[in-house]
Amino acid sequence: MLSIILLSVSGIASLFLGFNKSRSLLMPATLLFLLVALAVNLWDWNVPFTLSSAYNNGMMTVDKTTIVFSAILLVSALLVIPFSQNYIDRPQAQPAEYYAILLFALVGGIMMTAYDNLIMLFVGVEILSISMYVLAGSDKRNLRSTEAALKYFLMGAFATGFLLFGVALLYGATMSFSIKGIADYTNANVGNLSPLLYVGIVMVLIGVLFKVSAAPFHFWTPDVYEGSPSLFTAFMSTVVKTAGFAALYRLLAVSFTGLYDYWAMSIAVVALLTLVVGNITASHQHSFKRMMAYSGISHAGYLLIAVTAFQNTSQDAILFYSLAYSVATIAAFGVLILVADKQQGSEDFSAFNGLAKNNPFLAFVMTLAMCSLAGIPLTGGFFGKFLIFSSAFAKGGLNWLLIGAILMSAVGIYYYFKVVIAMYIREGKTEKIALTGLQQAAFVLSILLTLLLGVVPNLFADLV
Amino acid sequence: MVQNLFYFLTFLTLLSALMVIFSKNPIHSVLYLILTFFTISGHYILLNAQFLAAVNIIVYAGAIMVLFLFVIMFLDLKKESEQHIPALAKVAGVIAGGMLLVIFVAAFKSMQTITPDEASFNSQIGLVTTLGKVLFKQYLLPFELASVLFLSAMVGAVMLGKKEEGERNTF
Repeated sequence: MLSIILLSVSGIASLFLGFNKSRSLLMPATLLFLLVALAVNLWDWNVPFTLSSAYNNGMMTVDKTTIVFSAILLVSALLVIPFSQNYIDRPQAQPAEYYAILLFALVGGIMMTAYDNLIMLFVGVEILSISMYVLAGSDKRNLRSTEAALKYFLMGAFATGFLLFGVALLYGATMSFSIKGIADYTNANVGNLSPLLYVGIVMVLIGVLFKVSAAPFHFWTPDVYEGSPSLFTAFMSTVVKTAGFAALYRLLAVSFTGLYDYWAMSIAVVALLTLVVGNITASHQHSFKRMMAYSGISHAGYLLIAVTAFQNTSQDAILFYSLAYSVATIAAFGVLILVADKQQGSEDFSAFNGLAKNNPFLAFVMTLAMCSLAGIPLTGGFFGKFLIFSSAFAKGGLNWLLIGAILMSAVGIYYYFKVVIAMYIREGKTEKIALTGLQQAAFVLSILLTLLLGVVPNLFADLV
Repeated sequence: MVQNLFYFLTFLTLLSALMVIFSKNPIHSVLYLILTFFTISGHYILLNAQFLAAVNIIVYAGAIMVLFLFVIMFLDLKKESEQHIPALAKVAGVIAGGMLLVIFVAAFKSMQTITPDEASFNSQIGLVTTLGKVLFKQYLLPFELASVLFLSAMVGAVMLGKKEEGERNTF
């Protein structure tokens, strides 16, 4: 709650900092805002948040789960921001606006993790999405960026329509916007539920699944992720996805636990479809960035398995996986931003040819990120997948989904290692790429997090 | 008196709604649609729902219809371009429309009319005052956070719309 207020105010403050002609102050200021927001967010850890019921009228709850989800969002943002250096150094850049919108987007993300009322969910989704539509099109001279913004906006507005219609139908059936109120209704009227409720659930699920780019609703993802500036693609594929899954799991866990049999099968089918579409299509891409877009789709599939399993351990698995995925994805995009900048904007696999010769550190970061995304042991991604698969296994009856997922992660290893092969084996020339201190710090932090998650997973797995 | 007004409004609504479909000129269609929205707002006022009436006019008659008009003017519909609709599309249209009709009939058949309990019925529930009380008490937090949404959208609009140095309009 306090972090929401702080982020809103610091967004406005960052706009005012834009009046200053010097651009060097903006990035440190934004990082400082984020660090303070992270500290304030963690401040509530042991404090039972008494204000939530009295002051907000049951609009949002802050508990350990929401704090950890919000912390993942804030850490992702902290890791992304150092890579904005090249982007804001362009003469036509408007850095104050970029940072302000990023901070506002985080407000929406935190709302999505902590909402107790569907209105809060809707406003949060909208803040996050509208900020992303703008940032996707922020490279105004690039036709692809404009196309991405327009596509994302049109499709996103359509999905929002579904979400809102679903919320209205849920209200019609249960006479409540509160997720706990909906749960009370479903528990009190077992066997005599209004048909509107079922339609409402499906429509809300469609709206949220669109935001996390699950399979039948993923068509916008490749073009949008590829067209947007890499900086904001990194933000989109981590923050938006984590917030989306936090929102999805919270809705299902609080409101629709009793209706598990109704929604579980559809989510399971969507998960398998997402895995197949994401991984198979990713394996024949020429552009690294487009591959990462499909990889983002496939990781939504893994997270959906945890949602389907719906065990006590599922939430921990989602948290762990989101963190591991976000850190690895940001590291990969960080390297991509730096390399593409040297290679005249080329984002193909061939841009990475021979990178390891002059830039061993970057090649190592990328290799580790790819190992984590592919789920190789000793990295965070391995234990993320392990936790998800074991929660699904404990549920039982989901073996067909697990077999599909394991086959698909084997496909994943193939395309993630294409870039590793390009970096270490292929011939090519890339000059030494200079890193700023902050970028080095972000890379080191992401390496450390990935390895820590992989070597001592207990440090994080029992967090909540 | 109110009943006569209701019948008059309903007649006007149905007439203008039909004229939306039957007029050949798209501009006339849009204008009839605006009339339809106004008469529907009239119904809301008869039902003591002032806020809905105002929002209906502002959002539909104001914003959405202007968008419609813009689109129609940009499209520059010529007479010859709307002549050839393939037979398949006509059949598909008839089937889709017919199915919608079936759904409507089914919905109306199973509809239960509930008469409100006169003792507990609050006729003031649609007034702006009631809404304001709910909005500023119970829903204060989302209301305040909606300001972040608008601020973000505004900053974005300015950022995307601002003219860059050396940029020329290509219109």
